[in-house]
Amino acid sequence: MTGTATRGTPRRSPDRDRRLPGDIDMWVMVLGDLFFFGCYFVTYMVFRALSVEEFSAAQRHLNIGIGVTNTVILLTSSVFAALGVIAVREGALKKAERLLLATGACGVLFTLLKVHEWHSEITQGYTIQDEFFSFYYVLTGVHLAHLVLGLLILGIAVRELRDPRGRRPGIIEQSVLFWHMIDLLWVVIFAILYLMR
Amino acid sequence: MTSATSTLTGSDPADGERPERGGSRDVRLVYWLFAAFYTAMSVGVCLLGRATPPPRPDVTDLQVALWFDKHQLGIQVGFVFLLVIAGGAAVSNGIIGYFMKRMSSGKVLAYAYIAAMGVGAIPGFHLLLICWLTATFRPDRDERVLHLLYDLGMLSYNGSLGCFTAAYAVLAIAILYDRNRVFPKWFAYISIWQIVTEVVATQMWLFHSGALAWNGMITFYIAVVIFGLWVVCLLHLMRRAAGAETSRTPALYAREA
Repeated sequence: MTGTATRGTPRRSPDRDRRLPGDIDMWVMVLGDLFFFGCYFVTYMVFRALSVEEFSAAQRHLNIGIGVTNTVILLTSSVFAALGVIAVREGALKKAERLLLATGACGVLFTLLKVHEWHSEITQGYTIQDEFFSFYYVLTGVHLAHLVLGLLILGIAVRELRDPRGRRPGIIEQSVLFWHMIDLLWVVIFAILYLMR
Repeated sequence: MTSATSTLTGSDPADGERPERGGSRDVRLVYWLFAAFYTAMSVGVCLLGRATPPPRPDVTDLQVALWFDKHQLGIQVGFVFLLVIAGGAAVSNGIIGYFMKRMSSGKVLAYAYIAAMGVGAIPGFHLLLICWLTATFRPDRDERVLHLLYDLGMLSYNGSLGCFTAAYAVLAIAILYDRNRVFPKWFAYISIWQIVTEVVATQMWLFHSGALAWNGMITFYIAVVIFGLWVVCLLHLMRRAAGAETSRTPALYAREA
């Protein structure tokens, strides 16, 4: 949108139109992670197709209430994260910090619920002896490891906001980009582990 | 060490002179030794030793004895050769440590990487060679003992991964904190994938078949694709980093009097 912009249309700089949110390094991480998680999902689907009845029977023992709650928590956290980026771009740094802390709080809540869910399932005897649960623990475990890494990256972003010499929007965008990926992966995991029958 | 935090090139490209050939001779030599070692290791482990792609974990004592008998010559030639050149692992860790010492993130992480990879090479590489060579040079032993050596070799090779996890973690931290940009940040993220695959691979101790066994899609094949990608990227990045060095690149250590 350059010289052909009509009167009354806000003129935006070409650089802003073309700029990649975050940086290319984080995009390599995100796209690569999505690819490898995709490989995990395909593997799960293949094994599920080989034992549909066993997998469906085991799935019924999952706590769908906790699954839905965790999905809502992560989706809410992504809204906070996106609003945080908007706040940084508008220069509202204190607001951005509060929003990123709220994002992190959602992540901590998700973690606590997940640990509670695992504890409950293990005490009921649903362990990796069952093929479905072996996939369940690996997929949710790898996802949780990413979420903990995401919390660490959010912490770096908050520190950046508090440092008067820092406050680079790119760092905040990178952390939020990674957080959105965690959210996206969870939505897929929730669908294939909890909902698919 | 004069300056680990100095820039890597140390040269002025605007001086109009013909650019110098990158990298000192010893760095280029060790780089090629690294490449040659990994190539030799791939040939020894994959083509001759038959440890990759992995054999089945869900086999009987008799099947294991027959498998060792069938691949006896390949294992003996390949793994004796690898035992002879096993020191290449130390050289390979050394060249990565050299570039890590060029990073502004400090020397400690470089030493931690070298140490973690050095310790990891014992269960992750040597023990496989020793177990399977013992099995093929002592074929008259009880089949149950051969089966134990078969399992011990494979589980040690693919399942003993804590040291490697630590090594990849310190490498990723070093790259992310480095301001000299010796390696790009995306390589730190690829190293983090390695950590995840190493942790997932612990599942192979529990399963005899399926996606999480030692020949499983998740624990082995996806992990080996990521490892292959990591090695290819590392070769490219070290070549680029070596090429960025000139005669004016500050030395890591002070010149001898």
